[in-house]
Amino acid sequence: MNKEYLGEFEELVLTMVGILQEEAYGNAIVGEIDQRVGRKVNLSAVHVTLYRLEDKGYVKSYMGGSTNARGGRRKRIFQVTNAGLAMLRARKEQQVQLWKLIPQLKMSAL
Amino acid sequence: MNENKSSRVSKFSLRFLQWFCPPGLYEGIEGDLLEQFEIDVRTFGINKAKRKFTWGVINFFRPDIILRNRFSYTLINTIMIGNYFKVASRNILKRKLYSFINAFGLSIGIAFCILIFLFIMDEKSFDQFHTNKNQIYRLEEKSYDTWLQNPKDPYSRSAYLPKGVAQAVKDELPEVIFATRYNPSHNGIVRYGDKIFTEKEIAYVDADFFNMFSFRLLAGNPNKIFKGKLEAAITPAIAKKYFGDESPLGKALRVDVEGDKEFIVTGIIEAAPSNSSLKYGILLPQENSPGYERNLNQWGNFNTPAFVQVLPNTDLKNFKLNLDKVIQKHMGDKLEKWRKNATVPIPADVRMMELEFTQLPDMHLKKEISWDKVSDPQYSWILGGIALLILLIACINYISLALTTSAARKTEVGIRKVAGAQKQQLVWQFSIESIVLSFISMIVGIGLVFLFLPSFNQFTDKAIAITFSNIAPVLLTSTALTILIGIMAGSYPALFLSGFRPALVLKGAFTSKVQAGFTKPLVVIQFALSAFLIMSSVIMYRQMKFVTTKDLGYNKAQILVVPTQSGYNIEANKTVERFRTRFQSEPSVVSLAGTGLSFNQGYSRYGYKIKGEQKAAYVYAVDPFYLSTLGVNMVQGRNFDERIAADSDAVVVNEALVRDMKWTDPLNEYLNYREDSTGLGAKVIGVVKDYHFLSLEKNIDPMFLSMNKKDVGYLGTMLIKLSAGNLPEKIEKVRAIWKELSPDKPFEYTFLDEDVATQYKSYQRWMSIMGLATCFAILISCLGLFGLSGINALNRTKEIGIRKVMGAELSNIFLLLNKQFIWLAMIAFAIATPLSWYVMNKWLKDFQFKITIGWELFALSMAAGLAVALLTVSYHALKAAWINPAQTLKNE
Repeated sequence: MNKEYLGEFEELVLTMVGILQEEAYGNAIVGEIDQRVGRKVNLSAVHVTLYRLEDKGYVKSYMGGSTNARGGRRKRIFQVTNAGLAMLRARKEQQVQLWKLIPQLKMSAL
Repeated sequence: MNENKSSRVSKFSLRFLQWFCPPGLYEGIEGDLLEQFEIDVRTFGINKAKRKFTWGVINFFRPDIILRNRFSYTLINTIMIGNYFKVASRNILKRKLYSFINAFGLSIGIAFCILIFLFIMDEKSFDQFHTNKNQIYRLEEKSYDTWLQNPKDPYSRSAYLPKGVAQAVKDELPEVIFATRYNPSHNGIVRYGDKIFTEKEIAYVDADFFNMFSFRLLAGNPNKIFKGKLEAAITPAIAKKYFGDESPLGKALRVDVEGDKEFIVTGIIEAAPSNSSLKYGILLPQENSPGYERNLNQWGNFNTPAFVQVLPNTDLKNFKLNLDKVIQKHMGDKLEKWRKNATVPIPADVRMMELEFTQLPDMHLKKEISWDKVSDPQYSWILGGIALLILLIACINYISLALTTSAARKTEVGIRKVAGAQKQQLVWQFSIESIVLSFISMIVGIGLVFLFLPSFNQFTDKAIAITFSNIAPVLLTSTALTILIGIMAGSYPALFLSGFRPALVLKGAFTSKVQAGFTKPLVVIQFALSAFLIMSSVIMYRQMKFVTTKDLGYNKAQILVVPTQSGYNIEANKTVERFRTRFQSEPSVVSLAGTGLSFNQGYSRYGYKIKGEQKAAYVYAVDPFYLSTLGVNMVQGRNFDERIAADSDAVVVNEALVRDMKWTDPLNEYLNYREDSTGLGAKVIGVVKDYHFLSLEKNIDPMFLSMNKKDVGYLGTMLIKLSAGNLPEKIEKVRAIWKELSPDKPFEYTFLDEDVATQYKSYQRWMSIMGLATCFAILISCLGLFGLSGINALNRTKEIGIRKVMGAELSNIFLLLNKQFIWLAMIAFAIATPLSWYVMNKWLKDFQFKITIGWELFALSMAAGLAVALLTVSYHALKAAWINPAQTLKNE
């Protein structure tokens, strides 16, 4: 599999990890996706994606301090790595490049 | 508060999550789920939140989660697996004797299991090859038994029905589409040109036979065959025998079964396979069966099995009711008459006779109804039990032998552990080793199966062959079995060996003990099993010896049994006379007697009522030379005399009959076995000493001999007593005279003593199987003892060394080491003795005449067992006793 490949959902999750910074863990990401793009996603799907991103080296994780909420269980906090950041940047530039290639049509007024 | 919340979710879901989730991920995932749960409780309420929680857990049950982080694990293992195989093969080669013992024991276990598996498969495969097997039923009759009066089950069952049943059922019941009668195993003389042979597999069937059963018609038209009444269908083997290479179709074959008839061969039919309940060599239309016309409308003669094929989805309850109607219609009056005339009162709710049925594939194991190849499903269980026992013993051996060699592998384990091997990896390693060994055993075992199959077939009276159709399940089973054995036998040594503490091992604690306490009970079990088998086979052997050598009350040596081949009529008696006259000038023949039935050819029995009491007696048609030829002693009175005309209706009775009738002066009595209302019955002219006319399974019951042809029958068999000396030469002389007097009939003979011996054939077979199993069990448990004595000697190396230094004799050490095995063997015998006593008493119940199981039998078996055990353990004991103490003590 091409390591450079990043799926749509993976990109979304990676972006959210970037946005949430110190608060990037499973539930928060699910909430953030719901809030920002209005998409209901499954917690397990997010977890799986995070682990996959970790395998690819785009994020790394550590256990946060324990809190009183969540039955005392610690959170696994994810952080975007340099490779992940580079990947996100590359995707953005790629998209801008491609956008520029579209003839600038005017929205037809109806 | 927090605890409260987490305790509100399902414990089971959490445990499930914990079970499948990799430990590294568990806490984060659980926390996220619980957090969501708390939010859900507030928004949806507790119940929905719970459901959502459970659903969330289930969502995590996916390969990405379950297998995460395991991959890297397996990566190391796959690297190591190559090494495991290498070390395993080195170890196997290094300890050739141990490996051989192990592999040998296991392969015998596997071979036995495969053989038994084949046996059970064959039993199950009976009659399964018919396409219509689920629609074909064998009809059976169940009738109230007024004779035997068995209170538990007062009915007798049989597959033999009146001749008219099949046709009536087919004509009158719409659900029956085909019906055929089937009379197998008729003997007849078959002729084509100059070829004359006796055929024993002549079967009479109806045309529907070819539509119902899936025996392929190789030549001939299945729709037209047997429309004519003088047609025949033959198997390729019969075709070859009579017609050689020419085509038999359209040719005339003369078949003589009570009357010579010519049949045109119109079909060649594939021979029935060995797992078929039906068999035949020559098929002829039913209409030609002996006594057909006489029997057809006579619904009182039960002599013909019948098969029917019903429409698919026939309601069997309804079918049964319909059969009852058929019986009522054709036999209602007769049954009523039987009920009235019965010798014992018959309860009103009892039906005199009714029809039942068995689906074709089930008939093979329906042992209540006698049939040519019917078999008792119990045999499969017994054999399966023996196979499992042997397998278990072999596994126990593997364990104890593996532990014996464990000392040598301590260093290896220590170094592996120090180098970072985890316990689990070591378990894997040792398991792989035992699986490798058991795969080697499997290959050897399959080889042994091929080797043993012919004798196994002989023992079990089967014709099992390994073919393409059954090799796949055999391989599959043996592979599964092998892996199972590998894991079973390898698991304990694996756990044991992987548990060594590296620091201790590597420091050189060489004399530490192999803690294998649990092998002792295992060895006791093994030895008890072997002891059980030894004692049982000794008892079986003694009993078989007893039945074959017991004085039966007559002299069975040097007697040829020759069928007169003249049919059941007066011709038979004339044939006997002709031969007797001719043999008078032949010195090889001492005497010749005619009889209706020789021993082990079946029997006939008369039931009669005397003074209101129901009696029964066996009866034999004889001539005046019968008693002298067999050397039976008279107790009172005289033998038959040809010159006294009245003797043709007189009887000679045995002592049992005299006792049964409570006669004090039997020579003045009459036996009214025909229930003459006017006469007194047959005069008793003599009493013979009781002799065993039936097998020793049976008591000597009342019996009488008679020359009355009308009531007792004709002389179908000649007993020819030959003078002592060159037997084959004398048989040739008899054959020459046969050629002279009965040139158109085949000459056949058996020896009377062999006929008598075949009565015990099935017991002999079981004895052989037990004997074989015993040999293997002893062999394998000796291997086990060998292993244990090895452990023992190893554990006491240091002790022995010190003892020797202190001046112990060789014999002292030998005794020291063997003492405990003698104890183990004693315990084993103490367990096995009552067990085999119980089982063997049950087995002996089949015999009315039997040996008594005395203590000396057990003592003998025990002595033999102990001797073998001592011999086995001596190897290690002597080795340990002879070793130079300097060698063992220098390690400290």
